[in-house]
Formats: sequence, structure tokens, C-alpha cells
Amino acid sequence: MIAQEQKPIEEILGYLEGKNNIVIVGCGGCATFYHTGDKKAVDGMADKLEKEGKKVTKIYMPFSMQVCETEKSGVFLNKKRKALEDCDAVLVMSCGDGVQVATEYIEEGMGLMKGVYPANNAIGLVGGGPTKFKETCLSCGMCELGKTAGICPLTSCGKGLMNGPCGGVRVDNKCEIDPEKDCAWVKIYERMEKLGELDKFLEMRAPHEWSKCKRPRLFEIEEPVNMMSAMIGAMPGFLTYTFSAKPKLGEKE
Amino acid sequence: MPGEVYSQLMKELVEGKYVFTGELEPEKAGDVKEPIEAARELVGLVTACNVTDNPQSFAYVNSLAAAYKIEKETGMECVYQLRCADRNRMALLSDVLGAGVLGIKNILALAGDHVSLGDTPDAKPVFDLDSTTLIYMIRKMVDEGKDLAGNDIHNPPKLHVGGAAAPGAAHLKAEVAKVKRKIKVGVEYLQTQVVYYPEILDKFFKELGKVDVPILVGIFPAKSFGAADFFDKYVAGVDVPPDYLKSLEATKEIKDKEKKKQEIDRINVEYFTSFLEYLKGTPAAGCHMMAVGYPRIIAPLKKVME
Ligand code: SF4
Ligand code: SF4
Repeated sequence: MIAQEQKPIEEILGYLEGKNNIVIVGCGGCATFYHTGDKKAVDGMADKLEKEGKKVTKIYMPFSMQVCETEKSGVFLNKKRKALEDCDAVLVMSCGDGVQVATEYIEEGMGLMKGVYPANNAIGLVGGGPTKFKETCLSCGMCELGKTAGICPLTSCGKGLMNGPCGGVRVDNKCEIDPEKDCAWVKIYERMEKLGELDKFLEMRAPHEWSKCKRPRLFEIEEPVNMMSAMIGAMPGFLTYTFSAKPKLGEKE
Repeated sequence: MPGEVYSQLMKELVEGKYVFTGELEPEKAGDVKEPIEAARELVGLVTACNVTDNPQSFAYVNSLAAAYKIEKETGMECVYQLRCADRNRMALLSDVLGAGVLGIKNILALAGDHVSLGDTPDAKPVFDLDSTTLIYMIRKMVDEGKDLAGNDIHNPPKLHVGGAAAPGAAHLKAEVAKVKRKIKVGVEYLQTQVVYYPEILDKFFKELGKVDVPILVGIFPAKSFGAADFFDKYVAGVDVPPDYLKSLEATKEIKDKEKKKQEIDRINVEYFTSFLEYLKGTPAAGCHMMAVGYPRIIAPLKKVME
């Protein structure tokens, strides 16, 4: 998921200066997980803007309706076409992807020329949960995990080194850049040691192939996901998750 | 060890001579007068001087320009420090070729501190290569006349590449494995991070085992309490001994400038005499004296080794 946090309200008000009629767009995807685009977040933002004397229209996106998928979000945006036509600006409460997808859709899909502004800062592709998350992958296009005992050298190492550790590892094996974070390369060493793969550690890993990451990357799949069967297919998983005992760390199967 | 020898530093290391190197720091300025002055004082005392590249990620005069100027004006051979933090592999390659053109004979290949730690924290960190792949690239350029992509280099540069090692690293095994990796890809000499405690160095040499690559051990005679304190607080993997720090701190009380200088020199000579005596009995091939801005201490310390 794409972790995100809300921008300082002063910054948002700066973008909206002189604009009085605002449409706020929420997001039912990652932004709902991180409370930056769910109903509560949209309501909270609306309150703040109304306090500043602005007129606000809210477009909620229900759970699993992401702004970044126009097939879904387009339906909700079109429902409020009138408000979008009349507004001075649109504030999108999603990651940067959602903001841009909405910008393009409103202009090209709906034929409306509106300023679209971000409410959040996206801070990475993260894993973990339920409350603590860690950025783990840059989506670099050429996965190196097979050479590094399953720990991403580009994301988990503060410098993104392919051949660490650097000379800056702190006592307690924390990272030079941030005493809160573990040194990824010490972890890679320790995992390789336990896996009996230290010979691999001693080999030089070639410089990363950044040619695999020519931005913006375009991507196509043959068949789009069928929402109805996906929802039905999701039910057993959802029921198991909701009603089974939750696993605890260290618990045996 | 290299087949051909291009620099005085490498020549002395190959001959097995006990080698001293110094350190010069270009600053945020439109000239390199200060390091040139310091280099003049060190001519004849050290074989070569490292010229730092944006140390601690403070953006200073380009180290290649500085090294060239220092060599030209003082005759002091330089070890041009080159870090991966600020340049991608193309820029690194251009700079290495540039060094060849300017007659620089030694490079020290470093990853470099993260840019967020320095005086320009919003800069985009690069780290396209790391110290190991930079060493590999330089050896490929010099030995095979090829760049990383395999393109031919016409009239390849003739220079040596060294690397760093951190004997005081928190995770010594991982650090030593990395050093061995550097040796594997062809590093020609190693300079260590500053060491104060013999036990730390002993452990490092033991973990490393016998290697063919000459190792210069770093020491840091501090010109003031502030300099030592900075090192203690901000340089990873280095603990400055509290007694040494304390005696330097006491010199802050001395009003007379000349007397203060003398006392600081006395403390350094006393502390480092025993360390250098100890160093004679280790596999170290020499000593890298990082006495930045403190060239007058080198002569008395060198005497210890004679
Ligand atoms: S190497 Fe790292 S950034 Fe690249 S795909 Fe793998 S996990 Fe993601
Ligand atoms: S301390 Fe470890 S994780 Fe941090 S930059 Fe250095 S090698 Fe990378």
C-alpha cells in the first residue's frame, strides 16, 4: 500500500488562496487505510475549509473505490459533475497518483479545466501493520531481493547501496542516517550468515540497472479485473480475516 | 598488488617502506590557499596527502580541482578522495578520466556520508555506485581500458585506487566481509577510519586475517578540544578516549595562546607516541594522519617512528 500523511493545513490553504468554492475528493483505497482520504478525513478537511469561509462540496469514495482507478472513481466524480463545474478548485485526499489520475480525468474525461491540488504527502510503498508500517520497495523494475537475502538494498539501506554496509553503521547496528532504523546491510549479513550464504555476501553485486526504471513507466494488462467476481472471490478471505483468531508473532502453526 | 606503479605512494607501499599520509581539507571558498599552506608544511614529512571530497556532506571546493592545484603548487602528491554520494556512475567516470588528464595518481573511493547529514540536507542523494563498485569501475578503466558498460576508453588513465575500512565498526564481521569484497575487486591500498584503541585494531586485524593489500591506520591528533569533541560526537564508529578528551578540554582554561598550543601538542605527542609505538608491532603498512589544520604535529609524531 502507499502510505501517506496529510500536509500541514497552512500549505493546503496556500494552494487554495483566493479560491472560495472547493470540491474535496476522498479515496477509498490506501488513503482510507491511512486515514488521509476516508469519510472522517474528508469531513475534517471540510470543517477546516468552511471555518476559513469556503464553500465545500464533498465527494466520498466508499471503501475499495480508489481515486487512482478511473473506472471506479469516474462514476463518483460524474455524479457531482455540477459541483465540479461550479468549483474554483479541487482538493484530492489521496496519494500523488490519485491526484494526477483525478486531474487527468476531470480535464480529459469530463472536459473540465480545474486546478486540482494535493492534500497529502505520499511516503512510500509500505508493508506491515496494523499500526506500524515500513517502506520496503521502490518499485524499481529490476528486483534485487534474490541477491540480498530478501531485504531490499535500494529501499531499506538509507543510501541504497548494492554493496554495504557503509562505514557509518552506529552502535546497536543502527543506520548512519537515522538512529531509529536498523542498518539493512547488517541485517542482510546476518540473514546470509544464518542461511549459510556468506559466500554470496562476499561477491560484489553489480550496480543496479536503472535503465529498468525509465519514468514514467507505462503498463498494460490483457484483461481488466472483473469487479463483481473479485468481490465475490474476496468474501472467503474477508470472512476468515474477520472471524478467525489473529496470528501472534512467534506463534507456531 | 598492481603490476605497474604510477605513484610515489604506491611505490613506497610496494617497497614495504613504512608510509605516512596526511589529510587536507578544501573548504567553502573560492580558493584553496589554506590547504596549499598546510601542504607546504607537510612536504618531506608525508608521502602523500588525501584531499577530502565534501567531508561529512558539507559542500566544499571540488576535490579534484583542489588536488590538482595543491600538487601543482607544492609538489605534494595527492590522494584524490571521490565519493558516490553526489555523482552517478557517468559523473564518477568523467571525474576519474579528468583525474588522469590532470596527472593525479591516487584515488580513494568512498561511498560518502549521506547528504542529509551535511550543510545541504535537501540535496538529492545519488549513491548510484557504492565504494566497492567504484573501486571495481576504476580498476576496469585502468586495467582493461573499459567503462562499466564495456565501452572502450582511449588512452586509459594510469592511477591507483584505494578504499576505506572502519576497524571500530559496530558490526565488525559485516565490515570485514565488505573490506574483503573490496580486496576481491582489486582495491590497491586501504586507509582506515580513525582508531584510538589498540584493542579495536587488534580485533580488526584478527578478523581480517592475512591480506596482500597494504593498510594505513588512521589517527586523528586534534588541534583543539572542539575538533576532538566533534569527532567523538558526530563521526560514526569512532570513540575518542575520555582521558584524552579531558586533558584537551583542560587547555581551554589556558589564556596564553602560545602556551595553549604547546600544551595541546604535548598532549597529542604523549597520547600518540604510545599508540604509534604499538602500531609498529601490527600488520599496518603505515599511518594516515588526519591532522586537518594541524600540520605542525606531524613532525614530532613522525620522530617516534624513526
Ligand atoms: S529491488 Fe527493492 S525496490 Fe526493486 S523491486 Fe525489489 S524490493 Fe522493490
Ligand atoms: S548504515 Fe547501513 S542502512 Fe544505513 S546507509 Fe549505511 S549501509 Fe545503508
